Amino acid sequence: MFHAFFRSTLPVLPLLLVLSPVNSSSCAMENKTTEIHVKYENILIHDINELVNISAQNRDRCCRNKNHKNIKVFFCNDTQEIESLQSMACNMLRFFHKQRISKAFRWKAAFVSCGTLQVLKCKCEGHRKEKVCPHVNVFGKEDTETGEQSRKKCNQEVCELKENISSLRSCWNKFEKIISR
Amino acid sequence: MAALATFLVPVLLLCGPDPCPAAAHSQPEVKCVLFNEEYMNCTWGSRETLKANYSLYYWYRNTSNKVECKHYWQDQDIRVGCYFNQNEIIQFQPFHVLLKASMGGSTLEISKRMELQDLVKPDAPVNLTIHNMSNNQLQLTWATTYPKAKCLEHAVKYKSNKDTDWMEISVNGDVFSLPSVDYKKFYTFYVRSKVNKYCGRTQLWSEWSVPVVWGSNSTSKGTVHWLWIHTVLIPIASCLILLVLVILLVRMERVWVILMPRIPNPSKNFDELFITHNGNFQEWAGVPKDVVESFKPNYSENICYVSELPPKDSYEPLWESSNPPPSVMPSASPAPGEHSPYKNSYGRV
Repeated sequence: MFHAFFRSTLPVLPLLLVLSPVNSSSCAMENKTTEIHVKYENILIHDINELVNISAQNRDRCCRNKNHKNIKVFFCNDTQEIESLQSMACNMLRFFHKQRISKAFRWKAAFVSCGTLQVLKCKCEGHRKEKVCPHVNVFGKEDTETGEQSRKKCNQEVCELKENISSLRSCWNKFEKIISR
Repeated sequence: MAALATFLVPVLLLCGPDPCPAAAHSQPEVKCVLFNEEYMNCTWGSRETLKANYSLYYWYRNTSNKVECKHYWQDQDIRVGCYFNQNEIIQFQPFHVLLKASMGGSTLEISKRMELQDLVKPDAPVNLTIHNMSNNQLQLTWATTYPKAKCLEHAVKYKSNKDTDWMEISVNGDVFSLPSVDYKKFYTFYVRSKVNKYCGRTQLWSEWSVPVVWGSNSTSKGTVHWLWIHTVLIPIASCLILLVLVILLVRMERVWVILMPRIPNPSKNFDELFITHNGNFQEWAGVPKDVVESFKPNYSENICYVSELPPKDSYEPLWESSNPPPSVMPSASPAPGEHSPYKNSYGRV
């Protein structure tokens, strides 16, 4: 009888050990809010403001159409601001290769995403950060300044990116408000 | 003309006595302000600008969770705004509002999306306090009722009683230092606040605080005394002195005459000329009689008749027949007593 008990319960323990890390955050700056605060205020906020200005210059009239309104919205969940920022930053890296978005816009968006992930010391699934950020961090400013500045037509990807940027900025505001006590 | 009339009549009938809603109604715009994160007011117009009675619906995430406003602001039975209490406010999530009204059989809808953390207006700072520091330095501190003081930036406005314009300085903390002050001047300070760029993107400043003053102010005894002298004593004394002077002037004619000499009236000086001497100027002037006589002429000139003698052996003068001969004759001698200075001068020459 005891043999049957141990045989049935023994495999459960390794299963718990494998499953538990899935729900934990892959960011290493969870309790270092002061350091995050300093880096955000001194460095990241300026890049975010520049990105918001670039986003405002891009045409968004089509985003008010019903076809473009079904865009995935990221929420900055209470007590999970860092995870929310990680999710938004990783998602924003998707737009780096979208040719229907102007080069300056998607490069700046990638630059801010990489900056967010760097400040929070987070990783993304599928090694997206390792694929994009080294390239952006080295050539980021040069490419955005010398690259073509053509204004692309409004499209679904532009709408999604603008929504993503708005959510990221709001979530940073919320996080800053919480840690500035 | 008939075709135009047949086209216009149905249009007018459809519009009815009231103007067409699509043509005359200007779309209202919802404006929301979150006051100190305690309550929020959203307004969309006034009784004069609104043509329909709107209802407001709001939601944060799913469109299926639309909630109608529970506390409307009304202006004579027209809804002009909505009040949200603190429990109904969620920041850092997209806030959607929908204004809906039915008018003339059609439904009017206006939607808007907002971020409430960008619409925060903090309350004005309170408890402004001035501290005297060393080296003629002043330090101004204040407090705020906003829940997140670290999320605020401030602006200080000040001037002295000798300045014409206000100085406005941006301050990040809750302390402002004025390096050097003049103890003879009177300073006034105001402070206001705004959510900083790290916690939001609002452009709404709070109202200016209640002012605080420093320096030689009006509550000190010396200033009150000086003010009383300036505003009461000096004007009264001036009036009294003026009154005394006026009385003196009226009563003392000597002084009056010196200050206000009479305008000379020469008419009385000539009364004697016209009344006593009958206009005889020389007599009135006292010219001696021999001088008067000397002006009278003591000679007489005979009239010298001049005429043209006719020629001896020539024609008879024409004038012998009928016309009397023209004669060139000097004028008659002036009657005695008539004075003719020109003729007298000729006579003398």
